[in-house]
Amino acid sequence: MKHPKGAAIALALTTSLFLAACGGDEGEGDSSGSDTIRVTLANHVWTDTIKEAIPQFEEETGLTVEITQLGEDQLSDQYNVKLNAGSEDLDVMMYRPLQEGKLFATNGWMADLTERVESNADWDWSDFQEGPKSATTHEDTVVGVPIITEREVLYYRKDLLEKSGYDAPPQTLDELKEMALKIKQDNPGTAGFVARTARTAAVTQFSSYLFSYGGDFEVDGQAAVGSDEAIAAYDMYSSLIREAGPENVSTDMGWPDSMAIFQQGQAAFLTEADSLYRNATDPEKSKVAENVGFAPFPEGPAGRRSYNIPSWALGINEGSQNKDNAWKFIEWATSQEQALALQQAGNPSARNSVWENAESTKNDPADLVEASKGSAENGVGHDRPLVTRVAEAREIVGQPIVDGITGKDVAESAQTAQEAFQQFLDSE
Amino acid sequence: MRTSPGYRIFRIVAIAVLIVVMLMPIFWMVLSSLKNNVQIFDVANAFNFDPSLENYRNVLARSDYVDYIWNSFFVAFMSTAISLVIGVPAAYSMSRFVMRRSALVVLMARIIPGVSLLVPWYYIFSNLRLVGGYSVLILSHMFVALPLIVYIMMGFFDGLPIDLEEAAQVDGLTPIGAFLKVTLPLSVPGLATAAILSFIFSWNNFMFALVLSDAGTKTLPVAIFDFIGYASIDWGGLMAASTVVTLPIMLIALFAQRYVVSGLTAGAVKG
Repeated sequence: MKHPKGAAIALALTTSLFLAACGGDEGEGDSSGSDTIRVTLANHVWTDTIKEAIPQFEEETGLTVEITQLGEDQLSDQYNVKLNAGSEDLDVMMYRPLQEGKLFATNGWMADLTERVESNADWDWSDFQEGPKSATTHEDTVVGVPIITEREVLYYRKDLLEKSGYDAPPQTLDELKEMALKIKQDNPGTAGFVARTARTAAVTQFSSYLFSYGGDFEVDGQAAVGSDEAIAAYDMYSSLIREAGPENVSTDMGWPDSMAIFQQGQAAFLTEADSLYRNATDPEKSKVAENVGFAPFPEGPAGRRSYNIPSWALGINEGSQNKDNAWKFIEWATSQEQALALQQAGNPSARNSVWENAESTKNDPADLVEASKGSAENGVGHDRPLVTRVAEAREIVGQPIVDGITGKDVAESAQTAQEAFQQFLDSE
Repeated sequence: MRTSPGYRIFRIVAIAVLIVVMLMPIFWMVLSSLKNNVQIFDVANAFNFDPSLENYRNVLARSDYVDYIWNSFFVAFMSTAISLVIGVPAAYSMSRFVMRRSALVVLMARIIPGVSLLVPWYYIFSNLRLVGGYSVLILSHMFVALPLIVYIMMGFFDGLPIDLEEAAQVDGLTPIGAFLKVTLPLSVPGLATAAILSFIFSWNNFMFALVLSDAGTKTLPVAIFDFIGYASIDWGGLMAASTVVTLPIMLIALFAQRYVVSGLTAGAVKG
C-alpha cells in the first residue's frame, strides 16, 4: 500500500461498480406503450378479490399487470412523493377521492378521463351513481372511476335491545339516545352507544349527524360549523358518547378501537361505515357475531341523510407513458361483470345495475342490505370537508366533538371552529 | 462500597419499574401474537387463553415473507459494510489530522431530516433508473449510517494514544500499516458499536424503503403494513410479524451488547 490515493480510488471504483451491479431493474424502466401496466392498490378486500381475476385479464389482453400493494397511509405518502417528483413509475392508481382527490387533481397529477369514460357505451358511465361520480370529477373533468362506495349505518345488539324491551331498532336520533341510555342503565358495565372519538377520525362518522340535522361543513365556500344545526349535531354526537358511552371513554378512538368495544360485547349501538360489517359478524373477530343487527342511519330533524361516498376510485397518473393500457385495466376492473363479482365478495359497488341485481347481495345479511339501501336514499356525496388540505380541515371541524365528549361547552367550541375553519377556507 | 438497605431497596424498585415499562410492550406483542383477534381485545382474560401458533403459520406461509427478511438483511448488511469501509478511514484521518470542518459537513447529513430528502432522492434515482433496486436502498441507508460510523469512530480514535502508532512507525511500519496493524485491531469495540447501531438503524428503517423499494425489494418494516387493511386489521398476524422482525435484532443486540457499551464510553475519556 504505497499509494494511499490509488487505494482510495480503487475502493471508490469497486464500490460504485458493485452498486451498479446490484441495481437490478434493467429494462422495466422504459414504459412508453409498454405491455406492463403498473398498478398501485391499497390493502383492501377489493384488492384481494381483483387479484384473483387478474390472470384472466392478462390472458385476454396479452398485457402484464404489476401490482404494488400498500396500507392506505403508506399509499398516500408514496403518491405524494412520487407524483411530486413527476414519476412515470405509476400507471393505475387506487386513491381516495375525498381524502386526496382534490389535491391530486388541483396539482395536475390525474389524467383526464372524460373522453375515455364516455367513449364506450357498453361499459356505460351513466350506470354509476351520481354522488360517487361527482366525487371523482374535478371542475367538469373526470379524473377517476369509483370502485367502492360506503354509507353510515347503525350496528346494534339484538339481544340487548330485547332485554330492555325493544322489538325494533330506533328510527330517529332522539330514539337512539333514549334507548342507548336505558340499555346502559339496565346493563351495568355495558355502554349503550359507542362511536369514533378521535378528533380527525370521528369527522366522517359525525358527518351523517350533521347532514341529518340539516347542516354541512361549508355552504358555498362559507364555513358552516357554527350554525345552529351544526351545534345541535355536535351536541347529539358528543352527548351520546358522554352520557351513554363507555365509562372513562378515551378521546383517541378510531374505527378499530370503537369497533373493538362493540366486538367485545361492551356496547349496544355503534354508528359506522357499512363497509366494516364483517368485523362485527365474523366470529373470528367478534364475540357477538350471532346477535348483530343492522338498521339504516336514524333520522334527524332534516330526515335521514347519511353520507353515500366512493371511498376508493381508480385513476391514471398524468405522468404515465402508458395511459391507453392503463385505461384498458380500469375499464376491465370496473366493468359490470367485475363489479358484480366484487360486490358479491363484499365490496359495495358504485353501479346502479349491480345494486338492482339481487344476485349481488346474496352473501350479505338481509338487514344490512336494507340498512345500506336506506342510508343511500337521499345520501350525501361527501363525508368530510371538500378541500385540498383535508387532514388539517378535519382537525378543525373535529375539535367540537372532542370538546363535547369531555364536557366542555359545545356551542362555544363550535364557534371557535367556525372562525378557524373560515380562515382556513379563505387561505385554500 | 457499602450501601444502606434503603438505597438497595430503592435500586431494586427503580430497576423493576424500568424493566416493566420497557418490556411491557414487547411482552404484550408476543402475547398477542399467540391469540386470535377476539382474544386480543379481551382484557379481562389477558392471560387466560389457549395459545396458538396459527398467526406465525400464516406469516411464514406467505412465501414472500422470507424474501422480505432476506431483503432487510441484505440491505442492512451491505449498507453497514460499505459505510465501514468508507467511514472508518475517514474518521481516522479526521481524528488524526484534525479536520474539524470536514467533520462538520459529515454531521450536517445527520442534521437534515431524512424526510426532506425523499422527493429529491426519488427524482434523481428514478431518472437514474435505480428506484426499486437494492442499490438505492443501500445508498439511502448509507446516508444515515456513514455519519453515524464516522462520528463514533472519530471519538474512538481520539481516545487512542497516538504514541502507539508512532512506536509502530519507529519499528518500520508505514502510517497506513500502523493504522491497519495497530490502530484497527485496538478499535474492535468501537467498530462493533458503530456496525451494530448502523445495522439496527437500517433494519428498522421504514421511510426510505417505503418510497424507494418496490414489490421485489420490500423490507420487513414496510411489509408489516400488509396486515393493516382499509376495513380490516389482522392484529394477530401483525403482532406475529412484528415479533419475527424484532427477534433477530434483539438477539444480535444481546450478543453484541458488551461491545456496544465499551465502545460508546471508550471515546469519552481521553487516555
